[in-house]
This record gives sequence, C-alpha cells and structure tokens, in this order.
Amino acid sequence: MTQLLVIKERLIKFYARLEVYILPLLKFIMALVVFLIINGNVGYMNKLKNPAIAIILALVCSFLPSNMIIIFAAGYVILHMYALSLECAIVVLLVFVLMFVLYFRFSPKDSMAVLLTPICFALKIPYVVPLSMGFVGNPMSAVSVGCGTIVYYILKYVKDNATQLGNLESDSAASNFKYVVDNITSNKEMILMVLAFGVTIILVYVIKRLSLDHSWKLALGIGAIANIMIILIGDFSLDLDVNFGAILLGSIFSVLIVIILQFFIFNVDYSRTEYVQFEDDEYYYYVKAIPKISMATPTVKVKRINPRGTERRTMGED
Amino acid sequence: MLNEERIRLMTKMAAYEENEGKKTIPISNYFRGDYISFQVVKGAISATIAFALVIAMYVYYDLEIFLEDIYKMDIVALLKTVLTTYACILIGYMLISYIVYSYRYTKAKKSLHSYFSQLRELYVMYEKEGRK
Repeated sequence: MTQLLVIKERLIKFYARLEVYILPLLKFIMALVVFLIINGNVGYMNKLKNPAIAIILALVCSFLPSNMIIIFAAGYVILHMYALSLECAIVVLLVFVLMFVLYFRFSPKDSMAVLLTPICFALKIPYVVPLSMGFVGNPMSAVSVGCGTIVYYILKYVKDNATQLGNLESDSAASNFKYVVDNITSNKEMILMVLAFGVTIILVYVIKRLSLDHSWKLALGIGAIANIMIILIGDFSLDLDVNFGAILLGSIFSVLIVIILQFFIFNVDYSRTEYVQFEDDEYYYYVKAIPKISMATPTVKVKRINPRGTERRTMGED
Repeated sequence: MLNEERIRLMTKMAAYEENEGKKTIPISNYFRGDYISFQVVKGAISATIAFALVIAMYVYYDLEIFLEDIYKMDIVALLKTVLTTYACILIGYMLISYIVYSYRYTKAKKSLHSYFSQLRELYVMYEKEGRK
C-alpha cells in the first residue's frame, strides 16, 4: 500500500512539473484512439481511412480545447456514414445536432462522457463509464452517457448491416430513411443499456455522497451489482440474447479499472502549475506558480514521550 | 520596488481569472434577471430548432404516406396537435433552462465572492502605497 502511495505522490509531482506537455499529449492520444476506432469500425470512406489523416487530425486536436475532439469525431463519423449511404449520414447528423442543441449547451464539460462511452463499448468495458461518471459527474451525467450509448448502438447497427445499407436503392430515399430509423429505434438492447447506465450513475452518485465509512466502495459495489441486475432482468423480460458471461467479466474488469482510477485520478488533486500574466502601473508580470506538494513520507514513527499528553496520530490515508 | 505581497495576491487572482473565473466573471456582468432571461431565450431558440428538426424528420420518415394523405387530412387538427406539442416542449425546456441557469448564477456569485474581496484587498493595498 505504501508503495502505491509513493507512486501516487510521484505521479502528482511529475504531473505538476510537466503539465504543459502532458495535457496536449493526453489529448493527442485520446483523439488518435477515437479516430482509429472510428476508422476500424465504420471506416467506409477510403480516403479518410488513411491513418495519416487520423494522426494529423489528432495533432490538431491536441492544441485545441478538449471539446473540439468531439466535434472532429462527429464530423469524421458523418463523412464515413456519407460514404456508405446518404440516409445513414442524415440520421447520424440529426442525432448529433439534437444532442448538441438540446443538451450540450447545458453541460459542455460532460461531453467527454459521450466520447468515452462508445470507446469503452468498443473496448468491451462499457461499465467503466457509468461507474466512474457516478463518481466524478452528477446525476445529469446520466443523459450524457445515455447519448454516448445511443451513438454507439447506431454505429454498431450501421457496422453490422453495412452491406445491406450500402446497397439501398437510391431512388427511394424516403423509404430508405424510414428503414434506417425503424431499425435504429427498435433496438431494445440500446434502450435497456441507456436505462441501466442511468440508474447506475444516479445510484453511485447518491451512495457516494452518503456520510458512511467506505461510502465509495459501497457505491461501487452496489452500482456494479445494480447494473448487472437491471441488464439481466431486462434481458429476460425483453427476450434479448445478451451474453451473461460477457456482462459479468466486463463488470469485474470495469470495477477493477474504476478502483485504479479512483486511487490515482478521482481522489487526487492534481494541482496545476499556473502560468499567469498580469500588469500594474509599473511592471508586467509573467508568473509561474508551482503548487507546493508535501511529500507524505510513508513511514512516520510516532514516539510518545508523554503518554498522557495530547494524542497524536499519524495522518492516515482514507 | 516590487511589492511581493501584492504580487502574490495578483497571482492568485490571475489564476482564478484563468480557470474558474472564465465562466463566472462574465456572469457577474449581468443582473440575475437579465442573465436568466437571456439564457432562457437562448434555450427557447434551441428548442425550436430541435423541434423543427424532429418535425422535418417525422414528415420525411412517412413522406409517401404523408403526400398521399395530404389532401384528405384535417390540416387544422394536425396543426393544432403540432402546435400544442411544440408549446409543451418549449415551456418544458424553458423551465429546465430557468432552473439550471438560476442555479448557475447563484453558484457563480458564491464563487466570485472571494474574488471580489481579493479585489478590495488589492485596492486597499494600492491606497496604502499611494499614501506613502
């Protein structure tokens, strides 16, 4: 345990020192992963599929605000859809515009969840998203994660039916559109997942805030179990064929990942080095403010000289 | 001469302006009512766009049937249902906007409280320096 704490402290120091480089690097990696996953799954436009384009776009994203990754990814998906069939492109575009207009005006911060949900689905660990959004987000995150889930299932539908969609007759655009919309909206698994994730997020959020000991562990456990239960119940009552083993394994993996994230990211204050500029009547100031980090030495020996004196305790980690 | 205490204060304030202040300081330029009503109007516009999109999608979805039936349809009744739905959605969305943005305004005001007191502190420092 102490080893882990030391690693954590080192990470904090490392981050504080190199934040200027780490942040763009993380953005670059994230954008690249997103573009490559899109290419791998729904890459229908051959020109765009070139990894060089993905790398260039990811480089551009690394310098832009993180929300731009989403705009780029949305555009990327729509172009690929357009190459497959116009109807798909219209449906996807409409869904994106509706999400943007109705919801992301309110909470642009949450929009990362929309991006992360399909990625985690693609990596077979979708349950990480609701569990961790319950910790870092608020109940409204359920909407963002729901949007992300819908995006994933639309793309999955397109991927699974690519040949059919590619061969739609072009003279009956309206009926093609109807066909695509019908197929997407009748996906019960999608609705079930949206529901399960929403409940999980709210549950985790509520339990985490209770003033109990180990409330976050409880929240994590109950959230994961509730998630599995809802999916199973939905599975039976809606007659879907969801693979139980995959859910269980995915949930266990997800819980492990969330524990790691919890330890290294959610609970840690990565205080940032600030670069600020200001001026007064006499000077211009270019200040680099580095946060002071007190390295908690893991082995603190407490020697009691006077047993009746004030109780001293080592600062314990929660 | 550099006044270290003042630089420290100014650095703190500049850091706030860079991070949280980017959102909260623009809000502080509005009165509560102005800010909220502005946001609600913006919300109404986006709800209208969304509704228009959905209606367009709906018509396109059933385009053939729609075109066949357009002469038989009771246009007035149709318009009525469309308009009532629109009104419901609009009011609902505006209400949500109202709640969200009044909450945000209160939160921003709270967060700005210490920033403004720092501003006052800075002002006092300048006053003292001026007197010397």
